[in-house]
Amino acid sequence: MRVMSLATRMALAAVAASVFLGGFAVAAEPALTIGLLLPGPKNDAGYNQSFYDAALEVGRNIPGIRLIVAEYVTDAEAESVMETMIRQGARLILPCGFPLQYPAVAVAARHPNVRFMHPGGWEVRPNFSNFFATTQLHFYIMGVAAGLMTETNKIGFVAGMPLGFTLGNVNGFHLGARSVNPDVTTHLLFTFSWGDTTKEAAAAQALLDQGCDVITMHLDSPIAVIQTVEAAGAYTIGFMSLDARRYAPDGWITGLGLTWGDYFTQSAQAVIDGTWRTGFIRRGLAEGFLEIAPFGGRVPAEVREAVLAVAEDFKAGLIDPFKGPIRDQNGVIRIAEGEIWGNEKMGDFDWLIEGITGSPK
Amino acid sequence: MNWAFFGGLLSGTIMYGVPLLYTTLGEVIGQRAGMVNLGLEGILLIGASVGFAVSIETGNPWLGVGAAALAGALFNLVYAFLVATRRANQLASGLTVMFFGMGISAMVGRAYVGGGIAGLARYQVPGVAALPWVTRTMFNYDLLVYLAVPVAVLVWWVLYRTRWGLSLRAVGENPSAAFAAGRRISALKYQAALACGFLAGIAGAHLSVALARTWTEGMTGGRGFVAVALVIFSKWHPLRAIVGALLFGGAVTLQLQLQAMGAGVSPFLLNMIPYLLTLGVLLVWSGARRFAAPGALGRVYSGEE
Repeated sequence: MRVMSLATRMALAAVAASVFLGGFAVAAEPALTIGLLLPGPKNDAGYNQSFYDAALEVGRNIPGIRLIVAEYVTDAEAESVMETMIRQGARLILPCGFPLQYPAVAVAARHPNVRFMHPGGWEVRPNFSNFFATTQLHFYIMGVAAGLMTETNKIGFVAGMPLGFTLGNVNGFHLGARSVNPDVTTHLLFTFSWGDTTKEAAAAQALLDQGCDVITMHLDSPIAVIQTVEAAGAYTIGFMSLDARRYAPDGWITGLGLTWGDYFTQSAQAVIDGTWRTGFIRRGLAEGFLEIAPFGGRVPAEVREAVLAVAEDFKAGLIDPFKGPIRDQNGVIRIAEGEIWGNEKMGDFDWLIEGITGSPK
Repeated sequence: MNWAFFGGLLSGTIMYGVPLLYTTLGEVIGQRAGMVNLGLEGILLIGASVGFAVSIETGNPWLGVGAAALAGALFNLVYAFLVATRRANQLASGLTVMFFGMGISAMVGRAYVGGGIAGLARYQVPGVAALPWVTRTMFNYDLLVYLAVPVAVLVWWVLYRTRWGLSLRAVGENPSAAFAAGRRISALKYQAALACGFLAGIAGAHLSVALARTWTEGMTGGRGFVAVALVIFSKWHPLRAIVGALLFGGAVTLQLQLQAMGAGVSPFLLNMIPYLLTLGVLLVWSGARRFAAPGALGRVYSGEE
């Protein structure tokens, strides 16, 4: 299926690349042209939309921004898409897909005066910075909400691929739930794909059948999972785009939104002013990279207060979720007494915390 | 082991076997008329995108299913024209139809990416709620699920108990003889292609309108090819296709339910089971006359018209 999906994606990338003007800039010379590359559709209510919404916010905040968006970009054609954007005047490129890192590094080497900002990777160059949110740590807050809301004491997690960062999200979620509800078990399912929506719906259904009544996810698009959960009358906790709550008018609890708007705006202004600096940037709730989504109507006031109180503690730096002793599923101590795993360790997980049902591989 | 495992497994097996069954039944009709259609994946995608688009526009998911069936049938006329009228190679025609369908479905669905719908109404199988191992979330099916086995029986009846079915099978076995007996080869092939596209369109709509309740590009994930394998597995028989479709649906569900239980079985291994079984069927029964493929399957009929 790989070849075919690549072929469609390439065709789509060509069709979908769209240009439009932001603000009042009908004038000839935009203040800055930004090139945004997305691996999927801009309106997926998930990963892609978080970046697209942020780029639109730049256009609203700074007059004269010109935004070039290419959707469905794969690593195969990423370099040529970026080169085209640069020929059209782009001076800030946002290659917002994990596999686009090395194509972007290659293009960055050829264009030292163009700035690149990549989410979730590790490479840093003078004109190539790396940014992401500390989602693993903050999933703890979502866990608190789940632990307080569950009646069956079984909460579910649907994820795409068993990567270290994904396992970290699951572990953080579980720790938060356990902190308020020691009886809770977390049930993890992988679809082993990022885009098979039918299988995502089937995974959510399997969790519901096992008795889970609060379900969250780490997928490109959460729509299929949320709607399956909603139809069954269970609760959803969202991840990535704050927009996801519109699919769960009844069962929405809250969500962890990726909110890059302010950061993109500051970065764009810095490029215009000539003050842009590279870096390896990981930030959380306190710095505005993450946001707690509004609560759903069925969430009682005391739960809202408890969740927001934990969020405030996080902002104040009072909570370290991954603080030893922490045991894995086999009862082996992985984080020793007195040891704390910070954000730099979040990609290292190849194990799951005890009380989680599921396989880390 | 727990009871929720068995309940969930059985419930999911039926749910996720159904779209495969509709697709396989369509392909059985086509192959019985001598046409191997590798374009099924494209037709499924057309059905999924059109079904979802019409559901959103009209607010009625059943209109979506109907539109998807019509779109699938009409789209498969492209294939029929290539192989029956232009007498083109079937494999090449099928692949062309597949890529064409991928492109068109992406275009149709583009405006609806990120959309969500309530989908087809679901009704729990009457009486199962009384069973101790069935929870409220299990065995909730839409009407297309309930209709799947009756449709399989209908396809069997049409193929084996009607004149039209006899003619159709004759075209697939020996077009020259069918022609000599006064059958219109080309017309029958067009009719078979319409029926095939109709059923595959319904299957596509079931994926987007009933199961995922959303549209994403390429969302059929290779199920069109699974159906081609299933036709071979079921030895071109509509009733055996029920078994095959349940087996494939069961493999997906088993993989998820085992994970949910924490059993350490490789999901990749489980994904291979249906194909291993198809391989086994080919090895064991490939020589048996009773289970042989239609005689003129895949051949270009350039006879006496």
